[in-house]
Amino acid sequence: MVYTRKDVSTLTSAERRRFVTAMLEVKRRGEYDEFVRRHIDYYVSDGDGGLRTAHMAPSFLPWHRCFLLDLEQALQRVDPGVSVPYWDWTRDRTRTSAPWTKDLLGGDGRSSDRQVMTGPFAYAQGKWRIKEGVTDGDFLMREFGRPRKPIQLPTRAELKAALEDPVYDTAPYDSTTTRGFRNRLEGWGHGTGNATWENHNRVHRWVGGHMLGGASVNDPAFWLHHAFVDLQWTRWQRKHKGARYLPERPPGSRDSQYRRIVARHEKMPPWGVTPASMEDHSHIYRYA
Amino acid sequence: MAGGLALTRRGVMRGLLVSVVGMALAPVVAASRPSGRRHPRDLSFDEVYRGRHIFGTKSGSDGRAAFTGGAWQVTVDGRPLHLMRRADGSYLSMVDHYESYPTPLEAARAAVDELGPAEQLRAMDGGADGGRGTGTRRNGTEGGGHHHGVHP
Repeated sequence: MVYTRKDVSTLTSAERRRFVTAMLEVKRRGEYDEFVRRHIDYYVSDGDGGLRTAHMAPSFLPWHRCFLLDLEQALQRVDPGVSVPYWDWTRDRTRTSAPWTKDLLGGDGRSSDRQVMTGPFAYAQGKWRIKEGVTDGDFLMREFGRPRKPIQLPTRAELKAALEDPVYDTAPYDSTTTRGFRNRLEGWGHGTGNATWENHNRVHRWVGGHMLGGASVNDPAFWLHHAFVDLQWTRWQRKHKGARYLPERPPGSRDSQYRRIVARHEKMPPWGVTPASMEDHSHIYRYA
Repeated sequence: MAGGLALTRRGVMRGLLVSVVGMALAPVVAASRPSGRRHPRDLSFDEVYRGRHIFGTKSGSDGRAAFTGGAWQVTVDGRPLHLMRRADGSYLSMVDHYESYPTPLEAARAAVDELGPAEQLRAMDGGADGGRGTGTRRNGTEGGGHHHGVHP
């Protein structure tokens, strides 16, 4: 049965309540923190050695697609009618718009310690204690827009620039790649200042607090953000008919990326599925 | 896939080290910034920044150091700050994962900028959790029951 992922701003109050309830139950069961750990474990940077799957790599998109599906399955074990909504940050751009309402993710952190004080994920509600953090706080933290040095969410034009690139990814398939849809969307740039992080990366920065660090999955906003990123892959495919995940073949043994990235028909850890097999999700879910 | 070759994140963290291959390419920003005691030769730093003691040194004790040029060990108030290296030579910290900085010192300062007044780094790879994520995540066994993919 194909299910639908919806724009979070269109959810009914019942849908909001069910999503929140399922998230809190996945957390209560102890399953949620395993997602936090897995994301930490798979963050391999391209200046260090080893296989990169989740970030700074062409499999950024299929890896997070699988990751979302795993979370969604955990949610659906609680409530089969729940799916992960997406947050369109090109449209819902204020600190009080969806998904930052009291019946969904709650709002910004307070200024003294960035602690989220509203909504179901506020520490005082007793159901969302941070266990796998980079720092010792056990409450969820956010700092919208980085008040110390204000930044804005990526714009529709910035996202469009990524979508218009007709090539999925280009050598060296890492964070220094300047062309290709994947890194324009993932958002690794060059030099210093705001231009060095775009689209996906910039949203992590804008939310701030936990979303900025290695343990970003602690903020349920992670999933709504990545559902929207996942939607962009679908939109890109629609826009560039016939365009495929790249590289098609693994880099050779003399290539700097030898055994460091996943080619289209190679198995991607930890799921053992190939990027090619993750290109079409239409028989699992669709976007509304 | 070459899963067995991959380093796990925590495996890297265990040593709290970051390779400095290509260190010569990194801008020598640290040397030009006002700070406390420093050792210009290896760009180590030891300063108080916004009330936090940040310390970074290039370790030579690692056996690979002779080949890689050493590795960095960075602490904030005595607690290890894990750094990662980007292919362009810049540094990411565990606290600030979606932006990189030219030097370990700048990455450490940026991490401090993100810490709340009473917030301390957590010793993420210490004792109780020490056995976790030691490579088993990469051998294909984890997620063996997760073949949702295109075959839900």
